[in-house]
Amino acid sequence: MTWWSVVRFLHVLSAALWVGGQLTVSLVVLPLARRLLETERRGQVMRAVGRRFGMFTGAVFLPVQLGTGVAIAWRKGVTWTSLAEPGYGRILAAKLALFCAVMVAAGLHGWATGAGRPGFARAMAVSALVGSVGVVLLATALPAT
Amino acid sequence: MTSVEVHIEKGPPAGPPSGPARHRAPWHLRANALVVAWLGLTVAAAAVGDGLPAPRWLLIHVFLLGAVSTAILIWSEHFAVALLRARTPEPRWSLSRLALLNAATAAVLYGVTAGPAAVAVAGAGVIVAVVLWHAAALVRLTRRALPGRFGHVIAWYVCAAGALAAGGTLGGLLAAHVGHGAVHERLHAAHAQVNLLGWVGLTVLGTLFTLWPTVLRTRVPERTRLASLAGLRLAVPGLALLTGGLLADLRWVAAAGVAAYAAGAAAALLPLVEALRARRPHTGAAWMLGAGVVWFEVALAADVVVVATRPAGGVAAALEPLLPLVLAGFVGQVLLGSLLHLLPAVLGGGPARFKENAALLERGWAVRLTALNAGVPLLALPVPRPLALLGWALVLASAAAFVVLAVTALTRAWAAEHPERRALASPALAGMTAGCLLTAAAVVVAVTGGSGPATVAATGTRTVEVTLSGMRVRPAVIEAAPGTALTLRVTNTDAQRHDLRLATGERTPLLGAGESATLRLAPLGEAVDGWCTVAGHRAAGMTMRIVPTGALARPGTDTGHGAHGSAGRATSPDGNGGTAAGTGQAGLDLAAPVSPGWRPYDATLAPAPGGAEHEVEIRVDDSAVLEVAPGVRQRMWTFNGTVPGPVLRGTVGDVFTVTFVNGGTMGHGIDFHAGANAPDGVMRTIQPGERLTYRFRAEHAGAWLYHCSTMPMTQHIAGGMYGAVVIDPPDLPRADREFLLIQGELYLGEPGSDAQVAKIREGRPDGWMFNGTAAGYDHAPLRAKAGERVRIWAVAAGPSSGTALHVVGAPFDTVYKEGAYLLRAGGAGGAQVLDLAPAQGGFAELVFPEPGTYPVVDHTMRQAEGGAHGLFRVGAP
Repeated sequence: MTWWSVVRFLHVLSAALWVGGQLTVSLVVLPLARRLLETERRGQVMRAVGRRFGMFTGAVFLPVQLGTGVAIAWRKGVTWTSLAEPGYGRILAAKLALFCAVMVAAGLHGWATGAGRPGFARAMAVSALVGSVGVVLLATALPAT
Repeated sequence: MTSVEVHIEKGPPAGPPSGPARHRAPWHLRANALVVAWLGLTVAAAAVGDGLPAPRWLLIHVFLLGAVSTAILIWSEHFAVALLRARTPEPRWSLSRLALLNAATAAVLYGVTAGPAAVAVAGAGVIVAVVLWHAAALVRLTRRALPGRFGHVIAWYVCAAGALAAGGTLGGLLAAHVGHGAVHERLHAAHAQVNLLGWVGLTVLGTLFTLWPTVLRTRVPERTRLASLAGLRLAVPGLALLTGGLLADLRWVAAAGVAAYAAGAAAALLPLVEALRARRPHTGAAWMLGAGVVWFEVALAADVVVVATRPAGGVAAALEPLLPLVLAGFVGQVLLGSLLHLLPAVLGGGPARFKENAALLERGWAVRLTALNAGVPLLALPVPRPLALLGWALVLASAAAFVVLAVTALTRAWAAEHPERRALASPALAGMTAGCLLTAAAVVVAVTGGSGPATVAATGTRTVEVTLSGMRVRPAVIEAAPGTALTLRVTNTDAQRHDLRLATGERTPLLGAGESATLRLAPLGEAVDGWCTVAGHRAAGMTMRIVPTGALARPGTDTGHGAHGSAGRATSPDGNGGTAAGTGQAGLDLAAPVSPGWRPYDATLAPAPGGAEHEVEIRVDDSAVLEVAPGVRQRMWTFNGTVPGPVLRGTVGDVFTVTFVNGGTMGHGIDFHAGANAPDGVMRTIQPGERLTYRFRAEHAGAWLYHCSTMPMTQHIAGGMYGAVVIDPPDLPRADREFLLIQGELYLGEPGSDAQVAKIREGRPDGWMFNGTAAGYDHAPLRAKAGERVRIWAVAAGPSSGTALHVVGAPFDTVYKEGAYLLRAGGAGGAQVLDLAPAQGGFAELVFPEPGTYPVVDHTMRQAEGGAHGLFRVGAP
């Protein structure tokens, strides 16, 4: 148990909160809101949930994730060139690229919600969710050493 | 009045449809989805590019055979029905043809790139059958229809189908590898010309008679029918002449044919120009079609020049650079332009949806048109690579944009047709798909590339000549020490075109006959496969493999190549050589360049010096580094620093006094077979720094071996400690030239090392040497002149194998072996081989009949191919 354990713990915890939060909203909150609330009220609730989740993403999730992620990579001795090498580097690079794509999708979701394109917003939300599950998959595929 | 077909294309009128017309929109919807899917595959194939087997071929055929042929099949029937005002034929048969064509296309694509050629040939056969069926269906339509203004167009479609029947047959022959070299190239040229100018060109020209005025929203010019008849009468015989001329290698027939075709095309285009004068193009479709036709004319002009100036065998190669221009500029653009105009019409759904779809498909057409036509010249011109890539990016982005728009339009139309299944097209599903695709792409990136070390430290450099010829890559296996940075000089010595691509990504351009290219490889890590990417050539056996030394060694015998590699490295003074070898016999590359500054052991045998007493000093040097094979230097045990040692020559009765000095690092001795002495004294082993005097009288004539007499003698002889004593027989006639070849086995590795000793004991030499260098006289040929009498003295040093000395092309008229003439000049007999067991010697004489290059070999072919091989370069007298 070193400080590095704490850093890893924060990285995993924050990821769990973010992915788990998305899953909870999509699988639990949304269906219930659809069933229990009338259209207008539902819109209000969902916008509030979305705004709160967006704030959490920007204020907590992203800084923690990027900070701890960079620290772990530094500790592992990852360099730009090693990102291209098969194995740890390549998997990490793929994970980072997928993460960026997820962030773009999440950003597009926010924009589309505001711009009144619910269909596109929903498509982006689902692809961000699936993509972030993919990020978790790649994270588990990283060699332990 | 606008032309007739617009009304028909708009599909079912609003309101309750009747009869077969009800099915038209879904039928076309499904069919055009196929075209769009093939287009998407084309874009993907172009983007993946080199990652595919036979990338060039695959790209061309996915596009032309997949997208374009499917589109032609659909639309030529559609237009025929519309123009003839015929009843829509039973869609079942049209769909069957379409299904068959697509299945056959898949078979051809699979068969040529990955599978057995028979699959591709069968696919080509099915395509020919389908297209003939299609032609028959069109002819039947015409027969049943009332005579109309546009019946002439159908003749173009039927002729186009005939062209594909011919071109498909040629393609099948190509896939079956019928004909090699120049024949193959002519088949290829005829196949490409008849398919592009016939199947695609005739269809496009025929369609434009009505489509072009429709797109321009003007009337069909009056002269269209005349122009059409004249054009077809010129173009079709021209095409037949062109194809026949190319196949029969008659350049002027082919040139006349292509000129006639060009004239026919020009005639057919006249009414289009007339229509253009009446109305300027104002839609994306019109501009794209117009630009496509302009590129067609450009390509046709270039084609006329190429066919007229090149022999038939060179046409395909000369047209190669033009292909992207034809595919993207002409065929692709015409296809996109037509779909742009036609898709909204066939997607149906009433005027509102028609407008909506048209607007969707035309979105940003000006940018797409500009990008495509700016990209096309970059593909065809010899511009630097970044510009060519930019060209591809422009063309592909333009095509991809269309594919995306078309897919959107098709999806919308599909959703409109099936409102009950709308949920399937929901945003959630789209998002799920996008997320899964992203994740899958990331996983693919993560797991590809293997897990071997990505970089290997360079331990040396090496150049290997690679030739492509007769469906083979030679050498088929290159063995090199791990870390060697190889340079492959690839030469195509075949009459047909080839290239070489390595699994690590390096590739040569497509090489014409006699062309070369150089590939520089990263330091060798793991085994690398290489192959020719021309369609079908890999399956036919054009593959190679570069393996790190040791990977080839049999399990349990790590003493073989591994020792060879390490020894070569240890003793290579310049880090060069030694460690890499094209695998011939025993892993030596005998064709490799020799080290700079290497001089062969002089094989010329000087006449015996006068006098009956000879004094010689022979000094052991067991740390000399010598070139034992081309580019391979290693430590040898020697007499006087050379392998073989110095030659002693005299006549019968001469006395030799040899001062034998051990200047080496271990005990050595010497044994002269030419003398008669008790071995105990003169042949004893002396220690480093000691010396002895070895005195013998040469009582007998012959070519005698001398060698180190210290046990184990295999190691000392294999190490290089041998030489010859030549005692001339009495009255030996004068020869114009005398040479001495001493044949010995070559064991790579440090002399006396475990690895080397194991090979010696098992009798597994790495090569055989004449005068100390395997294939040395291949690199430094022996000289003689025609008509001269040449005497070749030979001694077999072994230690374990003899020789069957033979000169290719020049029989021996005299053979003297072990002290006796077996054959004398002047008699009727001749001899082909001077056979010597280990330690035997003799000579053979011959007269070279004429100037030329005559190999001298040990006719024990394994040993010849392992280095017991040299050349006589015989000049004019």
